[in-house]
Amino acid sequence: MVILLIGALLIPAVTGTYLILAGRGPRPVPEENANMISLAASVATALLVIATVMARPVLNQPWLTSLGVRLHFAVDGISAPLLLLTALLSVAVVINARSRPSHGGSPTTFYGCLQLVELGALATFLARDAVIFYVSFEIVLVPMWVLISRYGDSHDLAARRDASGRFVLYTVLGSTLMLIGILALVQASGTADLDALAALHGAGIARSTQIIIAALLLVGMGIKIPIWPLHTWLPPAHTIAPTAGSVMLAAVLLKMGTYGVVRLAIAPLPLGFGALAPAFALLGVIGIIWGGLACLVENDLKRLIAYSSVAHMGFVVLGLSSGTTVGLQAALFANIAHGVVSALLFFLVGGLKERWGSADIATARAALREVSPRLGFALVVGFAASLGLPGLVGFWGEFLAMYSAWNPAPDRPQTFMRFLVIVAVLGAGVAAAYSLRVLRLIWSGDRTTPAHADARGGEWSVLAVLCAAVLVLGVAPGLLLNSTSKAATAITMEVPR
Amino acid sequence: MSQAVVSVNVGILLPVLAPAIGAAVVLVTDVAVQHLRRAHYLIALVALMVGVLATIAGLGLVSGANRRTLCLPGSGQCMYVADSVGSTLQLAALLAAALTLLLSWPDDKKEEPGGTAVVVSLVLAATAGATAVAGARDIGSWLVALELATLPTVALVALRGARSAISGAVALLTTALVSFGLLALAAALWFTATGSGFLSPANALASSIDPVRRPILVLAVVVVIAGIGFKLSLVPFHAWTPETYEGAPLPIAAFLAGVSKIAALAALLVVIRAVTPLGNTALAAIAIVSAVSMTLGNVMALRQNGVVRLLAWSTVAQAGWVVLPLAAVSTDAVHAAGAYLLAYVLATLLVFAVVAALVQIRGAERARTISEYRGLLSDHPVLACALGLGLLSLAGLPPGFLGLVAKVAALRPVVTSELWLLAVIAAINAVLGVAVYLRWLLIVISTPEATPQVPLAVPAPAAPALVQAIRVHPATLVAVGFAAVALVLTSLSPQMLLGLLGG
Repeated sequence: MVILLIGALLIPAVTGTYLILAGRGPRPVPEENANMISLAASVATALLVIATVMARPVLNQPWLTSLGVRLHFAVDGISAPLLLLTALLSVAVVINARSRPSHGGSPTTFYGCLQLVELGALATFLARDAVIFYVSFEIVLVPMWVLISRYGDSHDLAARRDASGRFVLYTVLGSTLMLIGILALVQASGTADLDALAALHGAGIARSTQIIIAALLLVGMGIKIPIWPLHTWLPPAHTIAPTAGSVMLAAVLLKMGTYGVVRLAIAPLPLGFGALAPAFALLGVIGIIWGGLACLVENDLKRLIAYSSVAHMGFVVLGLSSGTTVGLQAALFANIAHGVVSALLFFLVGGLKERWGSADIATARAALREVSPRLGFALVVGFAASLGLPGLVGFWGEFLAMYSAWNPAPDRPQTFMRFLVIVAVLGAGVAAAYSLRVLRLIWSGDRTTPAHADARGGEWSVLAVLCAAVLVLGVAPGLLLNSTSKAATAITMEVPR
Repeated sequence: MSQAVVSVNVGILLPVLAPAIGAAVVLVTDVAVQHLRRAHYLIALVALMVGVLATIAGLGLVSGANRRTLCLPGSGQCMYVADSVGSTLQLAALLAAALTLLLSWPDDKKEEPGGTAVVVSLVLAATAGATAVAGARDIGSWLVALELATLPTVALVALRGARSAISGAVALLTTALVSFGLLALAAALWFTATGSGFLSPANALASSIDPVRRPILVLAVVVVIAGIGFKLSLVPFHAWTPETYEGAPLPIAAFLAGVSKIAALAALLVVIRAVTPLGNTALAAIAIVSAVSMTLGNVMALRQNGVVRLLAWSTVAQAGWVVLPLAAVSTDAVHAAGAYLLAYVLATLLVFAVVAALVQIRGAERARTISEYRGLLSDHPVLACALGLGLLSLAGLPPGFLGLVAKVAALRPVVTSELWLLAVIAAINAVLGVAVYLRWLLIVISTPEATPQVPLAVPAPAAPALVQAIRVHPATLVAVGFAAVALVLTSLSPQMLLGLLGG
């Protein structure tokens, strides 16, 4: 059974390396073939990931014996939804990129980098050794940097360089601080095994040490999530990146941060995280308001969605900080919800940007409702979910996050947390305002010129499947909540109350 | 009779003897048969390979195990000890020297100043010094071996005779003399403090508990750090580095960045391991120079356009990383410093080898600044991939897993000792380092069309890449290939390299 897990990692690794090197040979692989190879690899990986999630194999081999690092990979209820999200979106980005020539460099490198990003994300979610988690975390960096700097928005070279540079430098700072935290955690608790760390619940580590380690980890991963005020790399990176890059960045890479907080801070350092949780929650709520306000005035649609990501991740942070099982589940749910919704919106906006030539929503254009009903429908679903309409996927995570923060764990300052919830509710109101603003500007109206083509083929099928996911998870949130409940309870159950 | 005589085991000494004898053989051959060129290099390679084989027995030994010789009768103290760390550094020095020789392999056209025999024998002599210092355990041979590793490099830099070479050599010579003065002072202080010439923990322990002798011992260690700081290019003893690197021929710059740094760290480790009883106090100096070196090195490297100068400043920054773990006292720290050094040397030599290959293809003019590397990925994909791997390894990012693991290993002792400030400074420098190397890499992978160059100024490369590759000297290609394969293998399994240093 371990072969499933190894295969799920090996296929993107080998395909990615092959595609990058093959593009450099004397006879370059044509774009069509690169897409087909990539699609085949992504589908095979997705099937193996699904099988891995069902069979739950464990790989545990020594790797760096001198440093006590083991190649330890496994699946549990917390990582399973993220693994599925990663694998399925990797298929979707390849389908969506079909018949869109990648400008800026060889197509094989483009697809190769996508494969390597998938590899890094899968390895991060599978890792059960703290140092392997860090190593996997770093794998996505260079491929994503190449995607942004080479294949990004072709209009502005300097902006591309700035966006890709910011992305990579911020992330390296975050991950190196995280590494210091990980090394300190491993040193203090005597094990690098994430399951063993979670089982210890911080036993034997003094509260002051826990606070130092948790602070290092939260600042490190806070850059990746991103929490305000460490978010400034995100809007340019999302705006400049090609559609596939934006989707992977928003839907998958940001989740590595929140996932890391659960695994490395909340579970093994309950006292340290508990002490910092109010501040963490405060930054999250500032992010909700900040992101929402930026969205109210932002005219670049990609940048707008990027700021809305900051706001959505604020709700995740609020849920994580509550210290309750419900809050943890809410955060994990909101994680997936944001993955699905932001993927939907970035696919959509990427398509619109191609049709319009820019992503500016202030320019008078044909109303989507009139000229491209499919795109218009997807846009309505996406923004409705984004504003947290009940019955859609965006509702549950944010509602439960606020609910859990209203009744936080006993060691959290209840009044302060309730105050934060009130502010977060205001933020949700702002989300409604900016969502409706976008819909008013580009969806409604009766202009029919300049007309553009509606979504068809691969583009439409990707959008349709994501819309369906938004509806299904919105109507039946239990599908996801049941998967995470056992693991979430195990993490919060023994938090000292 | 055996009572009075120091025991000698030639097998254990072979990593030192092989290059030394090789140097002598090269000189004798040159006297006997004139106008030999490649033969000298072949002799040298054979000598280095013999040395490599001789180190194998010392690799991967468990902690405490070692092979010793030149032991004094009675006392049990030995002047030469090869344990796993020392043997690994010897191995690295010998291989790095072989790589340097491959890069400077003579072609038929140009005559080398001084002849190949001089260059080859100087390289071998310096290498013998590097391997000797790794095994030296008494302050006398330690000092002599370290100078043997340094002085030939002055001649190697100066041999080209150009003005920049001379000024580089003078900078290096001045530095070497000051450094020697400091180290001689340190040796005297050590002798005063311990009353023994042997660099052993037992001797240091005795004086570290004596309130009168302890300050002298601490002073000795601080002076040693300063003296070796010159050789490792640590701030504030780094000023010679950019000038000398730029003045030296490219292979010699690679030698300075490789073998010389190995010799310097090996010398430092000998002392550091002897003074573990002193605890952290003496090593605060290391924390400071480490933090300052990496910061200044990275900031200056960010501003360089010249390839060699960039690599020189990157050496300064990386030297800070190499000594970073030594700010904490532990066996782990010694291993971590060794591991980081090996990763750095391997990656840097790969970068130097690629630059040397490009100099041969395009001429020195068109490989001198990083802006000349625009479009390298489309023009010379293989070289560009090798360069990319080297740079990413130096930056410590996947796919350069070796650099990443070295970073983890270097940070671990610092975190274990709870030196939080130093750890955070290191984290910030990890970011600066990434900026340094990705700045170059971004130029390498960008498309050539974007170049705002005047097309007439540069003759368009008419021949396809494969034909151009033939213009590279086969020895250089072997060097690139060897370094690249070694880096790929150790990146796939960093334990291969960490394991050499022993448990």
